[in-house]
Amino acid sequence: MKKHWLIGALAGVLALAGLAFVRVQDAQEAAAAESPDSYPSGQPIAFPHNTHAGTEPGQLGMDCQYCHFSAERSVDAGIPSVATCVGCHQVIPGANKPEEVAKLMKYWNDKQPIPWVRIYKISDHAHYPHMRHIAAGLKCQQCHGEVQTMDVINKRDPAWGGANMGWCISCHRTEGASDNCAVCHY
Amino acid sequence: MSDGIKRRDFLKVLGVTGAGATLTGCSTQKVERLLPYVTEPEDITPGVATWYTSVCGGCSSGCGVWVRTREGRVVKLEGNPKHPVSQGALCTKGHATLQHLYNPDRYAGPMVRENGALRAISWEEAEAMLADRIRSAAGNVLYIGGHSGPTLSGLVDQFVGAVGGRRVEYEALSEAPLREAARIAFGVDGMPRYELDQARFLISFGGDFIDGGTAPLSYQRGFARMSAVDEHGSKGRFVYVGPRLSLTGLNADEWVPIRPGSEAAVALGMASAIAEGRGAGGPYASVLRAFDPPTAAEAAGVDEDTIRELADQFAAGPSLAMGPSVGAHHRNATAAHLAALILNHVAGSFGRTIHASGGPHSPSRPYADMEEAIRSMAGGQVGVVMIRGANPAYTLPSASGFADAYGSVGFKVSFAQAPDETSAMADLILPDRHWLESWGDSVAREGVSALRQPAMQPVPHFDAKQSGDVLLSVASRLGSPLGGATFYEYLRAAHQARFSPPTGDFDAYWRDALRDGVILRETPAPGTPELRAPDTALAFDAPELDGDGDLTLLVYPSARFGAGDFANAPWMQELPDPVSKITWHSWLEMHPDAAEARGLREGDIVTVASPYGRVDVPVWIYPGLRPDTVALAMGGGHTDYGRWATDKGISAMHLLPAEAEQPSGAFVMLATRVSVTPTGQHRRLAKVSGADTQHDRPIAPAVALADLTEGAPGEAPEEHGLEELQAGGGFVPVPAEGGTPQSFPLEGSRYGQYADAENRARWAMAIDLDKCTGCSACVTACQAENNVPYVGEQQVMMGREMHWIRIERYYERVDATQAGELDVRLIPMLCQHCNNAPCEPVCPVFATYHTPEGVNAQIYNRCVGTRYCSNNCPYKVRVFNWYRYTDAVPDPMNWQWNPDVTVRDNGVMEKCSFCMQRVREAENRVVLEGRGTIPPDGAILMACQQSCPAEAIVWGNIRDPESRVAQVAQDQRSYRVLNEEINTQPAVNYLKKVTFHEVASGEHA
Amino acid sequence: MATATTERGALTHPDVQTLGEVNSDVLRALTRPGKGWWALFALAAAGVGLFFTSWGWQVYNGIGVSGLNAPVGWGVYITSFVFWVGIAHSGTLISAILFLFRAPWRQSIYRTAEAMTVFAVMTAGLFPLIHLGRVWHAYWLIPYPNSRFLWPNFKSPLLWDVFAVTTYFTVSAVFFFLGSVPDLAAARDQATGLRKKLYNVISLGWRGTDRQWHHFGKAYIFLAALAAPLVLSVHSVVSWDFAMAIVPGWHATIFAPYFVAGAIYSGVAMVITLIVPMRKIFGFEKYVTIKHFDAMAKLCLLTSLIVFYAYLTEFFTAWYSGEVVERASFWNRLFGPYWWATWIMLSCNGLVPLMLWFKRVRHSIPALFVISIFVNIGMWFERYVIVVTSLHHEYEPYAWGMYRPSLTEMGILIGSFCWFSFWFLLFTRLIPPVAIAELKEVLPAPLRRQPKEAH
Repeated sequence: MKKHWLIGALAGVLALAGLAFVRVQDAQEAAAAESPDSYPSGQPIAFPHNTHAGTEPGQLGMDCQYCHFSAERSVDAGIPSVATCVGCHQVIPGANKPEEVAKLMKYWNDKQPIPWVRIYKISDHAHYPHMRHIAAGLKCQQCHGEVQTMDVINKRDPAWGGANMGWCISCHRTEGASDNCAVCHY
Repeated sequence: MSDGIKRRDFLKVLGVTGAGATLTGCSTQKVERLLPYVTEPEDITPGVATWYTSVCGGCSSGCGVWVRTREGRVVKLEGNPKHPVSQGALCTKGHATLQHLYNPDRYAGPMVRENGALRAISWEEAEAMLADRIRSAAGNVLYIGGHSGPTLSGLVDQFVGAVGGRRVEYEALSEAPLREAARIAFGVDGMPRYELDQARFLISFGGDFIDGGTAPLSYQRGFARMSAVDEHGSKGRFVYVGPRLSLTGLNADEWVPIRPGSEAAVALGMASAIAEGRGAGGPYASVLRAFDPPTAAEAAGVDEDTIRELADQFAAGPSLAMGPSVGAHHRNATAAHLAALILNHVAGSFGRTIHASGGPHSPSRPYADMEEAIRSMAGGQVGVVMIRGANPAYTLPSASGFADAYGSVGFKVSFAQAPDETSAMADLILPDRHWLESWGDSVAREGVSALRQPAMQPVPHFDAKQSGDVLLSVASRLGSPLGGATFYEYLRAAHQARFSPPTGDFDAYWRDALRDGVILRETPAPGTPELRAPDTALAFDAPELDGDGDLTLLVYPSARFGAGDFANAPWMQELPDPVSKITWHSWLEMHPDAAEARGLREGDIVTVASPYGRVDVPVWIYPGLRPDTVALAMGGGHTDYGRWATDKGISAMHLLPAEAEQPSGAFVMLATRVSVTPTGQHRRLAKVSGADTQHDRPIAPAVALADLTEGAPGEAPEEHGLEELQAGGGFVPVPAEGGTPQSFPLEGSRYGQYADAENRARWAMAIDLDKCTGCSACVTACQAENNVPYVGEQQVMMGREMHWIRIERYYERVDATQAGELDVRLIPMLCQHCNNAPCEPVCPVFATYHTPEGVNAQIYNRCVGTRYCSNNCPYKVRVFNWYRYTDAVPDPMNWQWNPDVTVRDNGVMEKCSFCMQRVREAENRVVLEGRGTIPPDGAILMACQQSCPAEAIVWGNIRDPESRVAQVAQDQRSYRVLNEEINTQPAVNYLKKVTFHEVASGEHA
Repeated sequence: MATATTERGALTHPDVQTLGEVNSDVLRALTRPGKGWWALFALAAAGVGLFFTSWGWQVYNGIGVSGLNAPVGWGVYITSFVFWVGIAHSGTLISAILFLFRAPWRQSIYRTAEAMTVFAVMTAGLFPLIHLGRVWHAYWLIPYPNSRFLWPNFKSPLLWDVFAVTTYFTVSAVFFFLGSVPDLAAARDQATGLRKKLYNVISLGWRGTDRQWHHFGKAYIFLAALAAPLVLSVHSVVSWDFAMAIVPGWHATIFAPYFVAGAIYSGVAMVITLIVPMRKIFGFEKYVTIKHFDAMAKLCLLTSLIVFYAYLTEFFTAWYSGEVVERASFWNRLFGPYWWATWIMLSCNGLVPLMLWFKRVRHSIPALFVISIFVNIGMWFERYVIVVTSLHHEYEPYAWGMYRPSLTEMGILIGSFCWFSFWFLLFTRLIPPVAIAELKEVLPAPLRRQPKEAH
């Protein structure tokens, strides 16, 4: 009788220990994880990726690298300068969201940068050269999801696993890329 | 920032409960903003470095540099290979100017002093105020300026001319005696130029061309080429004649410790010995007769044979004699230089190793002019004094009376970038821009000039303005515009006028000048000039010394601080002095016998007293100076120079008289005797060297020149023993003895997983110890490139300095008749990237392991900090982050961090990575350009290699037999540290130092 | 009475008259503690506070608060780790190995020795965590499938430690608990209130039936057999932390046996240190007799000789090897900056125990107590010498350095002793400190005893 609930207790302790352990590990991953899923504030301008990059009728089907200009020649993909946006938008008022374009023009007239909220980030101790991955034939969508179908991007796409080294490694292994630590960590 | 703090505390709590932080303190827990450019500059690609050429402003040498910027921030300086003065190298001070650029102590903007306190004002007000004062000063304007490019000094002359006033060119360290000697000897106006690489025999009479001087980089490169053994097994000989072994002296093959100030005697003695045969000497024949070898020997306190022997070797030529530099400037310095020139002339060195003119620029009469300035200030004849690029309140002894005279002036203006002792007294502060933020130009020497262009927008924390712009706008306020609204326009105009470009297209000329970073002019090579009779009375004897102390005081410019300008750069404070290996504080150098006689041990604090002042300073015992001398370095003891410099160490100037050498007008450094009395106190020195001798271990063995096999490089010496041991012990022998750095993975080692290692590069390094001068440029270069933090005096005393590469300095006592008293071994020690690395198997989490390229990698974010790897590293090249050193780096100094390298956090081991980031960058490039996977030889330079003025370091793919490193590693002098003892199979090959004397036995070499 | 002793002198416990008094005497220890105990307990508790405060301080600021540096990357922490693991050894030796060899003198001391073992391992196990630069990542040493696809490095002796120490802790804890079940039952039968509830649980419903005794005996001998090899393995593994490295002064083949001997040596000394006061306070003179002390003293003497021999061997091989670095390292041990540590080690572990040759010393409890203290000190310094003096003068003369322990390290060292005492004091009040059941086994059966009135 007593024996039973003792065993129960022991099992409980073990379970707790195990739980705590997994928790610790998750916490560690969370620490590496990038910004929270979404923000009360949201993006400063409700920029619809689909309108620009989408291929549906009525969408512009622009190439990602028209704006993210350095993706194929730099480690950074690059964020378009305000000028780039204005380059088109001073002639295109923005059919469905003129008020957002107005915001853009305001930034431009004030000569202020647009404080985009960063969604995708790899920890600083991991180096991710965009150009190598583009050169290897990766599509932006493989990591960032079907961006061309998304409206305002306020949260990470499920496709993204940048918080998790296993995600990188498994791809590197299947694609036959190096899984040598010092390729990314230095 | 506050956000950052919270984050960190949060982490620490987590830390206790066991949850983890990524290395960077998970900077991503908060909302992070991505700020795009409003309009992107066309020459910037995010993530890709942009390079600009410029001219280093660290000292007056005017070395051409390449400036590496990332996203508009300067992160690194490198020497400009096209520039003949820097020749691609950069000295340790040059790197440290980055810490002046981002120095948090810089003035935030223009300020005016009102009843003692500084008040920030606008540039508008400031310039207006200056204009008024100058107007009311009615022509009594005094401008005191340090080194500045030709155009700026032209502008200054124009300015003082316009507003009515005088200009005094003042530099704490000046080679004026040499200039004056040349004038007396040959009637030329300008500095003689040495070509060290042309000489086979170099004798320096206290000329410290490596410690600093006017052209440290090109002279050092020339020296390395001359003194290093060449493929024919021949090696130039370097003799150092002087009372103390400076860093330059440490590189000498022979040291003749003469009486302080008796250089002239020795030089003339040699000259007369040579002249005896040739009857040369011209107008100085009488002097030569007066200083025949016996007399000279008597005067210098050496024996006659030494002098005759030196004379013979010198006569054999091609040879070069170098006069005393700043540290040895005594009351007859000009005569000493003249004697050296005579020696060169008698031996026929002119036109071969030395040219009468065309040498580096140096101000004409630095201290003599200053004396007059001080007199006129004290006499109340100065209404407004402006000081730029000089800090006389610190660099002049109190005996000069500068402080009082300066203080008595009605209106004092300072162009200082950051607070210094002189600007602390100024009424108006117009902070100048850092040279990396300014336009300018330089003339490194005749025919070699360059443009300086701003490499980045001014650091936003500081509202600075280029002095040139200020002068121009003030001048126009005074109604006498000097042409050009901005200094940039003025500069362009000046160049348009000065250099009529070969092609009429000035814009093309300008573009090329900015692209190449140097403007070269053909200069007629001056032939052998004729000696002229002296037009002033000169005494060649050793000078009289003040005071009745029993020790002669030698004050020398610090190899780290110069005259003290670099004292507020933590890199320089923490860089071990190349000679004493002491950091952060001052020390008194004393010969073991002298110390013993006074019962002094290292670290005992003594009072050094001269007729002019006294200082308390700890003793450091150094066999490298005469027992009847003591030595102090300049640059310490600042009273108001920023957080890292103030109250660190002592200033030797307090002990010196304020006296100008006649006739050159240079400041007299070697002037007084001192008495040394113990205070009874003691302190631990912040010294990084654990031992001064090798204790019979072949760390830095040498080989006698005679033992080198003539001709082509032979095989590296066989390494025996281990295989037998293993066989005897029944082990499967790892093929150690056959093993070279390219043999990776080792047969039988556990790295077989890298099946394709054969098709990959095998990165390796070779360091020629016969070239290394110990100048430590590599140390600072590495620190700048790899975000290596400084840790502070206390931590250094605990043995926690973080340098990834260090210059070890060992003494080897040898027969004094062969090589003075010391045979000094200098060896750069960095991670050896062992094929058979002891650190790797012991790490429980694989934080350190071998890459397929054979590099011993350290994965910071995997490290849990057991420090087992460091314990097991026989070279002790692994350093540990005991605290959050990187967090202690204040804003904006952290702007200098290299974004390509992880900034390490608390509790992590780190070490040399073979500049992994540079390798990756080059690999990315070749892969994108479809040029295979291995960058071509020479495409990647290590930060240390790039900065090395002596070309001692070679790095590359040693598996490629064509690569330079593979060839150098084949040299017969090649060895690997401790490999024979513990079979670590390092990837770093050293080439033994070559000595003229027999190397002591028991040295495994 | 006198006569009784003369006749009963041959027995280990001559003065124990009846089986009944064993229960009463031993269980008396579990009754309400006196002021002295509370004072000690308060002291220990305070020390535990110091322990965790210092550790917290270190985690918060970084391990820089210690005096460690390069070249001396390990110091007081690893020294104490090895020291405590060593202490832990004699427990299992006395309980398991002596049990297997049926040594007649183990019964009355093995419970204490086992308790000491368990608590010593609990203390030792903390130090590898304490000395980590980033303790919050310590779990990376545990091999488990993780999202990084990374495994620990099974080549690293530190990893072996993880397994060795945890295994040793588990086994010795279980062994300790199992062995005390019958006595816990005995305690239960006397206890009341809360204690009763507690003992009810932890005595696992022991009734003392034949079946239970049968299973108990089997389980016990099985565990003993399981634990015995650990005595040798654990400290061998710990010694490889050093022997596997190439540091001169560490890289020696004799380390495993040398460390095991040292461990038993220090462990037995610690048992003496603990038993002497216990015997006094709880009046166990009857149960822990001169015979026990004599036996332990002999064990001490034997191991001390082995250890001292190991010292000499080390110095000899260093000289005989002719290796410059090796020789320099050992010369530096004797006459370098840390000479004092070495000489403390040599005198405490080599010379002092020689007194144990004399029967009068072996039979004088105060003398034994003092000697045991000396041995404890000596053994701590032995590890200090091995760790610190070997590291501070290594291959590269330029990189030589000195190590000065910091206050934080001292706090943690002292705290670790308190942490150990804390548990040990609790033990003396909660678990019968002398094995009642087993003790009875070696008492003469009541029948054979002659009635007193016959005299």
